[in-house]
Amino acid sequence: MKRRSVLAGLAGAAASWTLPAAAQDEFGSKDLVAAAEKEGSLTYYTANFAEVEQEVIKAFNKRFPKVKVAMVRAPGGQIIQRIKTEAAAGKLAADVVNHSDRGLMKELEDLFQDYTPPNAADYRPDALVSPKFWPGVTLGWCLAYNTELVKNPPKTWADLTKEEYKGKKIGQVVGPSGGTTWTRIMFERQVLGEDYWKKQAALQIALYPSGAPLSDALVRGEVSIAPLLYNIIYTKIVEGAPAEAIFAPEGVPIIPYADGITKTSKSPNAARLFMNWRLSKEGQTFAIKSLGNITSLKEPPLFPKGWDPKLIKVWVPKFDEFEKLRDGWLEEWNKTYGYRQ
Amino acid sequence: MTATSTAALAEATQPAAVPRRLGAPLWVGALVIVLAFLVLYPLLMLLFGALSDSNPVIDGFGKFRPSLDHFLKVLGNENVHLAFFNAIAACGGGTILAVAIGLAFSWIVVRTNTPFKRFIAGASMIPLFVPPLVAGVAWSILGSPKTGLLNTAFKWIGIDFRVDFYSMAGLILVFGIYYAPYVYMFTSSALQNMDPSLEEASEVSGASAFTTLFTVTFPLIAPAILAGSLLSFVVMLGIYGVPAALGAPANINVLTTYIFKLTAWSPPLYNTAAAVAILLMIVTAILVWAQQRVLMGKSFATVAGKAFRPRSLNLGPWRWFTFGLALAYLFVVVVLPTLALVIAAFRKFLFIKDFEALFDMRAYGWFHFAQVFDNPLTMLSIYNTLKVGVITALIGGALAFAIGYTVNRTQVPGRKAIDLLSTIPVAIPGLVVGVAYLWAWIGLPGGLYGTIWILALAFVARFIPDTVKALSTSFMQIHKELEEASWICGRGLLSTITSVVLPLARPGVVASMTLLFVLAIRELGSSLFLYTSDTTVMAVLLLDYYEGGNIGKTAAFSLVQTAILAVLLGLTNWLARGAAQGSARVG
Repeated sequence: MKRRSVLAGLAGAAASWTLPAAAQDEFGSKDLVAAAEKEGSLTYYTANFAEVEQEVIKAFNKRFPKVKVAMVRAPGGQIIQRIKTEAAAGKLAADVVNHSDRGLMKELEDLFQDYTPPNAADYRPDALVSPKFWPGVTLGWCLAYNTELVKNPPKTWADLTKEEYKGKKIGQVVGPSGGTTWTRIMFERQVLGEDYWKKQAALQIALYPSGAPLSDALVRGEVSIAPLLYNIIYTKIVEGAPAEAIFAPEGVPIIPYADGITKTSKSPNAARLFMNWRLSKEGQTFAIKSLGNITSLKEPPLFPKGWDPKLIKVWVPKFDEFEKLRDGWLEEWNKTYGYRQ
Repeated sequence: MTATSTAALAEATQPAAVPRRLGAPLWVGALVIVLAFLVLYPLLMLLFGALSDSNPVIDGFGKFRPSLDHFLKVLGNENVHLAFFNAIAACGGGTILAVAIGLAFSWIVVRTNTPFKRFIAGASMIPLFVPPLVAGVAWSILGSPKTGLLNTAFKWIGIDFRVDFYSMAGLILVFGIYYAPYVYMFTSSALQNMDPSLEEASEVSGASAFTTLFTVTFPLIAPAILAGSLLSFVVMLGIYGVPAALGAPANINVLTTYIFKLTAWSPPLYNTAAAVAILLMIVTAILVWAQQRVLMGKSFATVAGKAFRPRSLNLGPWRWFTFGLALAYLFVVVVLPTLALVIAAFRKFLFIKDFEALFDMRAYGWFHFAQVFDNPLTMLSIYNTLKVGVITALIGGALAFAIGYTVNRTQVPGRKAIDLLSTIPVAIPGLVVGVAYLWAWIGLPGGLYGTIWILALAFVARFIPDTVKALSTSFMQIHKELEEASWICGRGLLSTITSVVLPLARPGVVASMTLLFVLAIRELGSSLFLYTSDTTVMAVLLLDYYEGGNIGKTAAFSLVQTAILAVLLGLTNWLARGAAQGSARVG
């Protein structure tokens, strides 16, 4: 089945739910919707993949066709640089910003306005770093493998230190690539043991600059096994790629994004409605079903395939440690894996 | 030129001399102001960034805290040393290969009776239109030691030989074949415009065709060879896509991949990246200076006021050998990578178990194209790219002509400064230059930021050196006597330019505008910081597909891009042919 039709089908299913009138409050009051529709559009800055966010916008427009979303997409560090510079020049065009690095966003907190979604109480407190930022996107790490090449697939994180996977069979995203990888690295050391990196590095790991090329390399057979963000490999699996993914019992490191509405937003109501919808049960369900996301809702509306809530626990990094340990540990990681920084 | 004609010239030009005395400083001043805005101002921003911890827009110049920390950190970092030597090795090796291939090709096309020359000439330019990222991806599909199609084919045939393009040799080879067209462009137009009587004289004196080639022909087009090799070396230094796709898997870093890391890490280290960029600029400045030293005081004027046709060497049956050689080269640089891209674009997944699996037609279809065109950004980006490409080519072409003429054909004071200013951008790596333009131009009053014009401006500024250099070789070859003849006939400066210089330099002008158009279409580094949702361009979208880990869509979109470029190339080729005929008439 084509990915497009899968996504379109799922988006259609998600949007065709008819909610009782009271449930409309899930997205905001009637006045908010009317004001948002009057504004008619908003500008959305994202560090996520444009294609993925386009699906989000399409699904949002099924529910609210009168609010158009213009998207600007750039890699994480570059979009931050752009936001800072635009804001300093008084030309920040973004109404809503979507970013995976909570630390970087926290530094820009002053550029964002106070915002609370209608279902604020449903979110895990450990996924929040500021009352201005909310996890519209939450991603989680899985273990992926090429089904044509791996006859004995790994079942746990610990399996990724086994001798049988020696010789560039395992691919890894390099430590300094960003907040999502740093979360995984932190998890490996804090949960899997101080010597986990060393044991794994001894297997000769193939290093990749980011997750997307690694997922492509896995499908092509350049590497056989790789820890990957589930959303990166999920759509490929749905399309029929020779790959499979599992969630390991030691834990699933998750990355709650920090999304917010800028103070200078020219369409604050449209921005609010867009954020409300993305954070709503409907928006989160769409993201899990169609995009392979996880959620930071305390009670997930559904689980990804193979996720047994009795066995699988999510792991969220402590934010103070996330900031404090970063430089020192990444330096050690680089040395252990022979990555030249 | 005789004394009489000099006197006549002085007389003829006297009426125009008064306004020109006033005009020259005004003209030079205007050019310097334009170049200062396009080049110096962003460069100062970059220097400001490299020498401090601040962002000039955010913190303002008032909070400038000068510090050499970034430079010292960069200079003392052994990984930077390694990246530096890797870059020199890869680009040096690549340039040598590019010169060998480019020169051989231009000789085959311009100077021999090899069959199907026009086809060979057109096809040999194709690598130039392939974005470096796509070239890198294509060659990783072909040359990966584990899953490469070449190795799969060797295994199927039963040959024990295996290739590994994830290596320094792989980098050099890909650099060499993809940047050979730069050398070709420079040398072929030089060969075309060369008076064959010099070669004939050599042969009449008893030299063999081979000796003539190396003692007369190549030395005469030395400025073109040097300019082409210098440009290709410097362009290679600034390329990210090829070393990213082929070097990264083998842990081979070059300066650009290092700079990219600095800007992509979280948090991004732009100030350090600016320091590395400044170092890269110093290296390039030394090379440019060296080139000028070599060429200083030598005359390379070979186009004189006498009609001639480029000489064509009759190779006899050997012409089929040169044809075969050209075909083999084209197979390696055009057919193989295009085939890899076609397979990747039409195959649902690029997992190829064995050679037979390649021919399983169930695995092929239009999925990736359907998805690419389902994306509303695709058509928008194509439209924007063409628009910005045309604007860039027109403005940049005009500016380059003005600069090239002033520098090469006049003696006005200040032309050296113009030459220097217009050469600087070649040394600034694209990944860093984007942030410099953002820092420099975001504060401009008016609605420039966020429009297509700011992108065009960035491209004009970024590629001014390439365009001016491409034009300069044409200027250097037009003998001064042609202009002098026009002056003697009573024509003014402007009239001489439009009726003599422009028609003669037209092949060069068209070629340099085409080059600018192509470079603008491929440019990513400066686009990334200046585009908005309405002005998104193809290069930005291509990076998005690549970063999204979808090699199929990346390949499909790059085939679309290549097809568009091929159509436009055909068009300019046709224009250039008209121009060549036009200039032959003028000559």
